[in-house]
Amino acid sequence: MLEVQSIVKTFNSGTPNEVHSLRGVSLTLEPGSWVIIIGTNGSGKSTFLNAVAGMFFVDEGSIRLAGRDVTRWPEYARAELIGRVFQNPFSGTSPSLTIRENLSLAARRGRSRGLGWGMKSTLVSKMRDEVSRLNMGLEDRLENAIGSLSGGQRQALTLLMATWLRPELLLLDEHTAALDPKSADLLIALTEKVVAHDKLTTLMVTHSMHQAASLGDRLIMMHRGQIIHDFQGAEKRRLRPDDLLARFEEVRRAEQLDESAAQMLAEKYI
Amino acid sequence: MSLLIGTFTIGFILSLLALGVFISFRIFAFPDITADGSITLGASVAATLLVHGVSPPLASLAAFGAGMVAGACTGTLHTRFKINSLLSGILVMTALYSINLHVMGRSNVPLLSVTTLATQAERIGLGVTRGVTSFNLAGWDVSVRDASVLCAIAFAVALTGTLLYLFLRTNLGMAMRATGDNVQMIRALGVNDATMIVFGLAISNGFVALSGSLLAQYQGFADVGMGIGMVVWGLASVIIGEALVGSNQVGLTLVGAVMGSVLFRLMVAVALRWGLSPNDLKLITAVFVFFALITPQFLRKARLRSAHA
Repeated sequence: MLEVQSIVKTFNSGTPNEVHSLRGVSLTLEPGSWVIIIGTNGSGKSTFLNAVAGMFFVDEGSIRLAGRDVTRWPEYARAELIGRVFQNPFSGTSPSLTIRENLSLAARRGRSRGLGWGMKSTLVSKMRDEVSRLNMGLEDRLENAIGSLSGGQRQALTLLMATWLRPELLLLDEHTAALDPKSADLLIALTEKVVAHDKLTTLMVTHSMHQAASLGDRLIMMHRGQIIHDFQGAEKRRLRPDDLLARFEEVRRAEQLDESAAQMLAEKYI
Repeated sequence: MSLLIGTFTIGFILSLLALGVFISFRIFAFPDITADGSITLGASVAATLLVHGVSPPLASLAAFGAGMVAGACTGTLHTRFKINSLLSGILVMTALYSINLHVMGRSNVPLLSVTTLATQAERIGLGVTRGVTSFNLAGWDVSVRDASVLCAIAFAVALTGTLLYLFLRTNLGMAMRATGDNVQMIRALGVNDATMIVFGLAISNGFVALSGSLLAQYQGFADVGMGIGMVVWGLASVIIGEALVGSNQVGLTLVGAVMGSVLFRLMVAVALRWGLSPNDLKLITAVFVFFALITPQFLRKARLRSAHA
């Protein structure tokens, strides 16, 4: 489904602020798999997701999606294959448009937009059904501007919009991070339902060890722009939040050792 | 009375300018200065074509098209060559000054003995009243010519406004509105936002140029300096309109922009009547827009302060 071949991305290259965000990351996703990505701050997990989404072009490597080489496709062209939910609840919806208008925009994701009427009656009745399934009472507020909704409601709608047309790949970028615990739990339950129902291939970044342990069927741990662990199958199922924290601790200790060792070597030989 | 009708007529004509400014400033949040040049472009293209015997509706349509090209240039400078939005507009506006002179061949073109939309409307009006040139309205003497021009322009504005409203509710129109609202989201839904901006600015400047062509036909000449300060004028109308309707619904904001334009023109007429020097008009307009822009922040701060107290 998704084949990422040793992608490299360096920001501000050639300047003192050079950042090696991705140093040769490869990952292949089977159709219908749900892969969780965790990592320390600056590990490149969000950058990896953004590279797949096409927010920038990678310096090296290739990205294939649904049998097509999308490495040089601009962001808006990849949207034909990808549904996305962002960390910021404000990013996924258009605040001054109504719920209906937002949904009808999503109903043409990746398709041509001409002078056709945006609100067909069949579409509107489908909207009512789908929105009422969110159990948020929004089906009676379809004419309200999205700007008047809470963050949790917006994220639920964004998820609905991202999956309105079945995407080849669903990207979830810490989509519960900005929500209160209750809304986050609701959104996670909704996400599980949608992913299972449509058998979506999903790539999800999270900072929650609990989510990382309980969701998905594969877990990737990233550090300094590389994949350092890849848990699959039974191994993934056995993982507990504490195991993950232990792995992070390991990484941190190795890091400290690296730095002190490097310092020692520098003092001796330079 | 004739003065009042004239005020309304110009208010309606410039409401097309306000609709154009509404598209760029409000829908796309793009401060598009091109309008200062494209309103003159519309006037000069229409005037030149009319002098060469082209029919008035066709000349007005050509003006709309010329405006679209100007807007598309600004949009392309901004999206393709990554030039700052204000500077893109300034570049095109500056270039348009020379282009307008070339189109007209000199600095102004009189339309005194030419058939225009205004003279056509007058002829239709006189036909309806069978040659009677004035009638009595609630004690006022009203010229049939003036009244028919006003009716024609009100009709034209209602028509173009409705078309714009319908357009903004199509799939394409909604994508344009969302582009100005949330670029990240619209890209994620597969829309090329650069194309939307180019196209949106084209439509915006089409409206502005159409407004210019009607203004030339109404006042009987096109002049190379007629566009100076028009963006601010349009912006003032849009701001007044927003205050009048106080709603974010698309249809109402469009109606508001038209009402704002007429009301603003009335305010100007009253001020001139009270002895404001025409030379001070642009200054007063600028000061007005300044206050209209800072008042919301000021009110918010005052409200915060009273909430803390």
